[in-house]
Formats: sequence, C-alpha cells, structure tokens
Amino acid sequence: MSTLLEVRNLKTHFHTRDGVVKAVDGVNFNLEPGKTLAVVGESGSGKSVTALSIMRLIPKTTGVIGTDSDILFKGESVLGMDDAGVRSIRGNRIAMIFQDPMTSLNPVYRVGRQIGESLILHKGLKKKEADERAVELLDMVGIPHAGERAKDYPHQFSGGMRQRAMIAMALACDPDILIADEPTTALDVTIQAQILELMIELQERTGTAIIMITHDLGVVADMANEVMVMYAGKQIEYGTAEDVFYRPLHPYTWGLLESLPRHDVSEKGILLPITGQPPSLINVPSGCAFHPRCPYAKDVCHTQVPQLTSIEDGHSSACLFSGDPGFRRETASPSREVV
Amino acid sequence: MSDRDDLHHDAHNPHTHDESPVDHGELRDAAGHSIKDQSRSLPIPPTDDIITDGGRTLWGDAWYRLRKNKLAIAGLIWVIFVILVTLSADLWVKPYFGDPLAMDTTLGANLQPPSAEHIMGTDKLGRDVFARVVYGARISLTVGVIAVAISVAIGLIMGALSGYFGGFMDTLIMRGADVFLAFPYVLFAIALIAVLGPSYRNVFIAIGILGWPSIARVFRSSILSVKENEYIDAAKAMGAGHMRMIFRHIMPNAVAPIIVYGTMSIGGAIITEAALSFLGMGVQPPTPSWGLMLSDARPLMVRAPWLMLWPGFAILTTVLAFVLMGDGLRDALDVKMKD
Amino acid sequence: MSELLRVNNLKKYFPVEQGLLTSRLSRKVKAVDDVSFTVNQGETLGLVGESGCGKSTTGRCLIKLLVPTSGTVEFEDRDVAKLRGRDLKAFRRDVQFIFQDPYASLNPRMTIGEIVSEPLVVHGIGTKTERRSQVQDLLKTVGLNPEHLNRYPHEFSGGQRQRIGIARSLALRPKLIICDEPVSALDVSIQAQIVNLLSDLQDEFGLTYVFIAHDLSVVRHISDRVAVMYLGKIVELGDWKNLYDAPHHPYTQSLLSAVPVPDPEKQKSRSRIILQGDVPSPIDPPTGCRFHTRCPIAQFPICSEQEPELREVAPGQRAACHFAKPMPIALG
Repeated sequence: MSTLLEVRNLKTHFHTRDGVVKAVDGVNFNLEPGKTLAVVGESGSGKSVTALSIMRLIPKTTGVIGTDSDILFKGESVLGMDDAGVRSIRGNRIAMIFQDPMTSLNPVYRVGRQIGESLILHKGLKKKEADERAVELLDMVGIPHAGERAKDYPHQFSGGMRQRAMIAMALACDPDILIADEPTTALDVTIQAQILELMIELQERTGTAIIMITHDLGVVADMANEVMVMYAGKQIEYGTAEDVFYRPLHPYTWGLLESLPRHDVSEKGILLPITGQPPSLINVPSGCAFHPRCPYAKDVCHTQVPQLTSIEDGHSSACLFSGDPGFRRETASPSREVV
Repeated sequence: MSDRDDLHHDAHNPHTHDESPVDHGELRDAAGHSIKDQSRSLPIPPTDDIITDGGRTLWGDAWYRLRKNKLAIAGLIWVIFVILVTLSADLWVKPYFGDPLAMDTTLGANLQPPSAEHIMGTDKLGRDVFARVVYGARISLTVGVIAVAISVAIGLIMGALSGYFGGFMDTLIMRGADVFLAFPYVLFAIALIAVLGPSYRNVFIAIGILGWPSIARVFRSSILSVKENEYIDAAKAMGAGHMRMIFRHIMPNAVAPIIVYGTMSIGGAIITEAALSFLGMGVQPPTPSWGLMLSDARPLMVRAPWLMLWPGFAILTTVLAFVLMGDGLRDALDVKMKD
Repeated sequence: MSELLRVNNLKKYFPVEQGLLTSRLSRKVKAVDDVSFTVNQGETLGLVGESGCGKSTTGRCLIKLLVPTSGTVEFEDRDVAKLRGRDLKAFRRDVQFIFQDPYASLNPRMTIGEIVSEPLVVHGIGTKTERRSQVQDLLKTVGLNPEHLNRYPHEFSGGQRQRIGIARSLALRPKLIICDEPVSALDVSIQAQIVNLLSDLQDEFGLTYVFIAHDLSVVRHISDRVAVMYLGKIVELGDWKNLYDAPHHPYTQSLLSAVPVPDPEKQKSRSRIILQGDVPSPIDPPTGCRFHTRCPIAQFPICSEQEPELREVAPGQRAACHFAKPMPIALG
C-alpha cells in the first residue's frame, strides 16, 4: 500500500503584533489510503492549522511555513506547487469540510449548483451533467427528495442537512483525502450520530482516507484507525486507536482520558482534571510544553524538549519518561472495570 | 514576571494542592505513584496564561492599537496642529500677517497673488487670505464640534430610550428619526435657517438638530447588540436597577460606535457649514469662514485661483483628518480584532 | 428532604417575528410547553436535551429573566411571579445564575473585583473594605489568585472566566444556582476542573443546583436526578442511575446511544439507535406524542393522536411514552 499523504516536520508560524505564534511546530505523519486518522487536541493545539496547511489555506501575509517542512501528496510536494497545481488538488484530490455548516455554504446559490460547481471546475462537466450529478450526490448523503431539495437555497436546509450537503460537495470529485475539521461539533448528538454513520458508510464505499480533526474522544473512538494527539502545536502521542485509548503513553493523554465524565459505566467515577490552563502559543513553556500542568514533571522537563519517539511498534510519544516501562497507566479504559 | 515564577513553583510542587477542600482518599496509578495530589482541581495554580501586563483596560488597549495606525495618528496630529494654530492666532497672525477683517482699499492691494508679504495672497477686498484661513478654522472647528455635540446629546438620549426600553418608545422615536432622515439634508438645513435667521449660532443649531437621527440609530443598534450579552442578563438576575444597567453595563460597552461616528460627523458638519456659508445661509460676512471664502472666490476662479485653493485645501485636509481618525478609532475600538 | 423549587405547568411561548405585510395570524414558538418538576433542597437536578428543546428557556423562567406565558414557579412555597419589593430582592439574593459563555457573561469594561462585588453593591451589603476582602475570599474559593481583582476579563482564559462567573454567583450566599451549560464552551481538561469545582462548592455551601446541559455525560456526572426534554416537554424524569442504566423513553434511549463512548472496541460493538430526520419545528409541533415522527417504536394511530402523560414507570422514574419499557442502552 502506497502512502497517500506524508507530512514532514510541518511548522506553521504566524507573525502577530504580540510575537510569533507557533501554531504548528514540527508535525510528522503518514496517511494510508482508506484509513482514518484522528487529530485530537484542545483549542489552540494546532490541529486546525495542520489541516489548513495541508490545504495550502494559510494566509500568506501572516503565516509562514518552515523551509524544512514538506507535505507530499502521492509523492509530490504540495508546498512546492504553484497556484494552478494547488487548485488542481484542492477540492479535487483533497477536500475539506468545516465545523460550521451555517456559514460554509454560500447563501445566494442553490445547494445543487454549489455541489456541481467543483465538478464543472475540476472534471469539466457541463452544467446539466453537473446538476444531475449533484442530485445523485445529495441522494447518496441521505437527503430525501434530492431532486427537489437540490433547487433549495442553504437557509431552507437544517443544520444536519447542510452538513450532509457539505459532505456531498466534498465528495463530488471522489477525493483521495477528506479533511473534516470538527464536522459534528455544531450539531446535536442525534444528528452527530447520523453524520458519523454517514461518513463511515461513505468511506467504506469510496475508500476515501479521512483526517478527522476533533476534540471529542468519543468521536475519535467511533471513527479512527490511528490517532495523533496534539498539544501546544506539537504532536505528543501517535498510535493506533487501541494503543492510544488502552495503552496511552503520554501523561497529557492520560489526563484527557481521565478528565472525561462517562455515561457508559454504571458508577460515577471521579474526574481527574488536568490542572492549570492551556499554554499561550506565544510564550510556550520551556522544555516540554506540558510540564507546568504535568503531575510527573521533573527538573529535566523544564529544560529538555522531548522528541516524538517510537516506544512500541507504530506507537510513539513525546515524553522523556515514556521509554520507562514502569511509567504506564493501564487503567485508562474503564471498560475493563465493568464486567 | 514574578507571577509566572510563582506559578512554576506551584505547578512543580504538587503539595501546594493540599488545601483542597475535599479529600477523596488515596488514589494510585498503575505504577503505584500516589496521585492523590492531582485528585482535585482546587486550587489550581493561578495566572499562568495571563498574556497581557496586569490591569490593561480595554481603553488602554484601544489607545495602543490607535497608536499603531499611522494614518489615524497623522489625522490626529493635523487636527491638533490646526487647533493650536488657530487658538494662538491672536499672538502671531494678527501682528505679523494681518487682521482677517482689515480691508486694504489702496489701489492694487486686492487680489494679490501669494508673496512674501501675503503668503497666500489677498482677496478682492485686500484682506490677507492666510489670516482668513487661519481664523476660518475657528469657525469651522467650533461649528463642527458644537453641532456634533448637539447631535450626540440628543442622539444618545433618544437612542438609549429607544434601544433600552424598546416597545412603543422605540417605535415612536425611530419613526420620528425616519421622518427626519426622509428630508433632503441640506434643504432641511436651509429651511431651518430660513426660519431661525442666518447666523453663526443658528448654523450649528441646524446641523446639530439634523444630525441626531443618525446618532440615535447607531446608538440604538449598538445598545441592542450589547443587550444580547449575558452580562446584561447577569446584572438583571442580581436585581440591578435601570440606572446601573444603563450607566454601568450598557453605556460603556455601547459608546464605541458613537465615538467613531461622532468623530467622522465632525468632518461632515464642517462640510455642511461650508456648504451653507457658500450658499449664503451660514456665517455672514465679514466673518472669515472657509465656505464663505469659497463662495467669494467662485467668480474670481480664473483671475485669482489661489482664493479658492487655500480654503479648499483647508476643508479637504481637516475633513480628511477627522475621517482618518474615525477610521482608526473604529479599528482600535473593535474588541473583536483583539482575539 | 424538602422541596426548594416547584415548577407547575410552566409554559413559555414566543411570538414569531412577522413582517408588516405577511399574514396577521399570530404564530407562537412553543419553547416550553407544560413542564412540571420539583427541586429538592441540596440536590442537583440535571436538565438535558438537544438545542431547541426548551431547557435554557426553562432555566431563564426560573429566575424571572423571562416571564412565563402560564404556569407558576414557586421558590420556598411562594409564587415567584407575585414577589415584590423586599421579597423580590431576597429572591434575587437566594437564586443565582451561571451562564454558558464565559466571554459574554462578564462585562469587559469592569475589573474582576467590580464584577464579583457587584451583587454585594446592588444589595447594599458591607462597606467598601469589607466587600474587597470578601471578593478576595471568593476568588480564593474558586481557585483564582486574589491579587487579580484589578485585572480585566480579557486577560483570563475561558476556564478562569468561568471561575469568575461562579465567584460572582456565590457572592450573595445563594440557596439555588441555575447553571446554564456552564462547561460546554470549555476545553475537555478544563470542563472537569469546573465540574469538580461546582461539586466541591455544593458540599461546602449546601447549594442546590439546576444544571442545564446538552452533554449527557456531564449531566450524569453531576446530577442526582435528571429530566430529559424534547420539543418543550419533559419526556423522562428520574434518579440519575435508573435513568441512565434503564432509560424507559425511546428518546432517552436514542440520545444515550447517540453519544459516542471514548472506548474504540466498545463504541464499535455497542447497539445503536440512529434517529431519522431532524427535530420538528416548535412552531408546529407534531400532534399526539411529539416524538412520534422520529420514534423507532411508535404505533399508529395512538402515538400520533394521544399525548402521553408523564407517568411513573419505575419507582422514582417517570416517562411520557405509551410504550415505555426499559432498555439498558448506555452500558451496551
């Protein structure tokens, strides 16, 4: 299986009045065809900026991508492409859906027309063919009476239907990669369940690889093959979903899992929050960025920046102590407590 | 910075957490480390993400941003310069350049082009144009400021009543404002002055009265958007009275657009004054006023173009200065731009 | 256990905004439509549901931020709508509110000290110096540095701002606090801090909470009893354990099954009910049982014609469904 997307040492920094914001600071990962990678992190962890960097949607005026960074799509450097090259990939080979379905559709165009637009642009379809294909796509994402609804304007769609339309639009050109940035955060849980189900089903059918950006560990558990945990612009843990949920290596991942209230266990557990506040990206703490909030931090953590190191096969962590076999938290999965 | 040091100390010494009000017993992680100290969130190490220096107010922030805006500062400097020049004019313009009202009926003394003696030339009555431009600034600025002050005073009260109380009051005031706005502005001003009689004082009364509906509308919509904020509900829920609501919670958050609009309106009022004086409905001769000077210069445009040039230049730069200041203030006061 | 708050047949309808030239038929959004419940002294009642179910509107009616269309809210056996003067002031002291948005709920032009002491000022409590020391105590109580009372809200992070809001709500030593989505705007790691803080404060000050949220896990964690709302009505109400372990109403069941569990194996193997379609408009709610248009077990015509009563289905558990039966969905 050939690697679809390779992200090498991605660094995206923004120059602002207050200083340089290191939004993404050295991220590496590979994406294989048909797989789902979940990027997890809290606000400001750099997960969305990672996605925008892949899409080449970082504003040139303020955003700078490191010179030694590279993003390879099927072996070709996305960062090295000219504008025409980027346009031939964006929306065509790599498509993206956003968090807010209310603002990501243009209110003055009919939904069907918006979906067909990328087909006219990338596939050279005629207007009529594009319209027909748009109806098929709407039908595929489960919009009832797709033929008529294609003629509606976005405001006539509910939030869930708009997100379905966004997915239809993203899948119009059969992309190799679908980047979904918090696609269900703005939706109610029953609608979220519909959308996640739809995404899983469509992935099985089309073989599209998905990069799922989310803060919701439940969504991650539902969708992901592999998980990348980010903190303060850095990747701090990477592994299969099973690795990260059942054998997490990094204290931050432990903290995330233990601070979640659960409704799937019969007793109320104790929530163990991560103390302190997320760091400012302008003044990232020295050494390990997590050390001010880490209960296990030692003096060395203040000074030494931990590198993402492979601990087990395909499971890596950016903590100086992850190599120590005694430094483990096996109880992170409450499912083991319940019989 | 000492805060930050304290914090680090706190974060690394979990035993400072011992004042936790509730003790949930000894907990151990897989490795057998006691994690008791992490079991509660209280008290968290404070202050770690305070980004700005202590106690910086929003107004302070606004001034900081305004300072960065070169055009706005240029406008501010020009306005201050004009004010200083015109206020000190008695000290140096009258003795060295001439009295703005002093006619020189000697043959050949009128309509002189700019020279060392009369740096901006003389008008058809032999008066020094420079002196008249300088003294004209008094009229223009006074009219501008007082007229806008009148508009703002009426507009704030009307806008506050309408936006805060809503209902019938709102309908009454806003329909009244609509009626005012439906009249052609300058014609209405002329009609008003025709009734009051043309004079310096009546110019700013007319402009001031005509200006309130716009101010009231801007203020009303600003109040309505401030009222959406939850801190207004919070104040209501604690039983705060109307006075506290208006002056403590609504006013300080709603005035920013008025400051912007008011600043720009001064420019507008100066233009209106010039227009009215040009039409003979404003300041009466021989008082020096930029509009009046333009009016006098009109028939002599070809013979003595400098007569039109200097007051025109004065109006243009002064109005532009106010508009640039207003623009800068808008950016500076926009809280959203901060994040 | 005594009843602190009693809500009887509460209704809140909002008129639909209409243009000048459209039909004059006045239509109403039935945001809350005949809701009754009680809150006992010292407990936490969770109010959970999706957007538009009326949970926030209910919360706002409880503290008189909204005036109910009909029905009554009784606090300590007195009808809140009839309180005037000193009694109303006392009510405003006893019942406080914590807001969802930690950015919009603090006046950006006031310092933290001014914000937290404002309730004291409004109610004329203490001298300036007394208030100052009280504010510092409050800030300490909620885990903030008491030195920070001269700082402004924008200098704090979301979690810290929420602590400031909590300190403000504690200033008057209230008996009841309505928490409207107090953690939904916060990051996961910070949510847990605030949830724990609220539990600690409840123990320390003997507070009673009405906790409104859309996150079922958070509600379960903090609540003693939980009410599930759908389209302006309570569909199920009961002790947290019974309600989550054995939900009786098909809506509660589908809601619980829709929340993904942070455990990959379990999440992939658990049984799920995926509801079809969207929540209907509260302007024209479905006849009979409001859930019948999406219900997986609806039977016709009874469900579309007859409105189900909120009836006892197990000890201490009530559900509004003609065919209520327990289904242990969450543990799957």
